[in-house]
Parts: sequence; C-alpha cells; structure tokens
Amino acid sequence: MKAMPTLEGGLRIDAESPNDWAVLRSIVADAGATNGVDLASRLGALISEEAGSEDWHEYVVPDLREGFQDDLAQVGANIESAIFEVDGAAGPVWISRADVFPWYSALNQARLSLEEVFHFGPDENIDPASYPPAMRAAYIRTRFYGTIQELLLDHVMR
Amino acid sequence: MGGRPPTCERIKYDPMADTDTLTRTEEAISLDAPWNVVVHDDPVNLMGYVTFVLMKIFGYEKKKADILMMQVHRQGRSIVWSGEREKAEFYVQQLQSHQLKTSLEKAE
Repeated sequence: MKAMPTLEGGLRIDAESPNDWAVLRSIVADAGATNGVDLASRLGALISEEAGSEDWHEYVVPDLREGFQDDLAQVGANIESAIFEVDGAAGPVWISRADVFPWYSALNQARLSLEEVFHFGPDENIDPASYPPAMRAAYIRTRFYGTIQELLLDHVMR
Repeated sequence: MGGRPPTCERIKYDPMADTDTLTRTEEAISLDAPWNVVVHDDPVNLMGYVTFVLMKIFGYEKKKADILMMQVHRQGRSIVWSGEREKAEFYVQQLQSHQLKTSLEKAE
C-alpha cells in the first residue's frame, strides 16, 4: 500500500493487492465493532444528569449517530467504487479535499472502536509482540489508520 | 442560587383614554453560574487534530489551541470555553461531532 498527496490538495492511496483492499474495507468493519455501545452513545454518556443527560440522549445522540453512520457509508462507497473500477486488482482510491472529513471521521471511528475493544492505551506502553494474533493484527490496523490520518491532517486539512 | 431575580416594572397610564392600560415589563437578569466546556484526554485522537478542531470551532489562534490541547494531553482535561449554557451545549455538540471526548460542567 502506498499513500501520497495529490497536486489538487487531496490524498491518493494505492492498493497493490487484494489484501490491501481488504485492509481498506476493514476501516468500516472496525468502526462497527463497538462492544455493543456505539460511539454516539459513549459520547452521550459523558453528559451528566445535571447537564441534561436525558435530553442529550433524546436529541443529540441520534444526530451524532446519523452523522457518524453517514461518514462510514460514504467512505465504504468510495472504497467499493474504487475496487469495482479495477475489478479488485491494484489501483488507487482518491480522497479529495471535499471528502476529507468523512474519511478522517471513518478512520477515527475505526481507531476509537478498536481502542474500546482492545484497550491498547498510550503508544509508549504498547508491546505488540506480547499480543495474541487478533489483537496484534488490530494494533497494526490502528497504526495504519493513524498514519493515514496524519497524512490527511498534514496535507489535506490544512 | 436563591431568591427572585431583579425585576423592573413600567406602568403606562393614559389620562385621555376611556380605560386605563397597564403594561408591566419584567426584565430578569440571569444570575446563573457559567458552564464549562471540558475536553478530556483519550489515547486515540491525534494531538494535531485536537488543535485543529479547537481552532475550527472556537476560532482560536493556533498558539491558544495548542496550549489547551497540551493541557488535555498532560492534565487529562481542559476547560476550553466557559459561558452561557445554551452556547456551551452547542459547543459540546460540535466537539462531540468531531469525536472529541467532551463534557459540560457547571462552573464552581
């Protein structure tokens, strides 16, 4: 997999094998792995009763949930469309400036969900060699997602 | 907080009218304490992203946003804005929509 900024101010990710497409597809799958409590609900749980948690859950959380799901749907569609274009062979997926926020959101949702499931914690305390295989693979994906986010921050969102 | 908020009363009397008109206006001055918008640390959101979001939502300059971001990182939380409740709720909603762990607290 290669990623590079484009002249138009976006980012291009080149999938070089079916395995790379599988990794890109896992963004949406990982974002949905929530241990039964989705991101919108977890954020809603930060609002205390004094601050109006009941209303927050009734009015704000559904809006947050819808926004997060829209972002995932858009990114999922971008990836499937890119795979379709090259019939699953090597090829690019393009992230334009206009699409950058749904992409950043989807990658962040995936990382937040993996953190919720595996509790990796701060980077300095992590020893991936000690992890069981599924956890190690999840850690590698979270690092990959974070790297793409850094590229988006540095080259597209500025 | 206790007691009734200060009020002012105006009475309009028109001696030429067949009937008297009494208009009473009450102006309540809110004595409520401000509300704090608090961003909490988490191991996922990138430091550069937290700075970016604070600049985008509050219009803070990079230097101020960086200071607040470092407070979040080092102290685990930072009060990024204080003020009237309605506006504070709006900001919390905005920050949560950017996936930052954010809460709303009454200022002490």
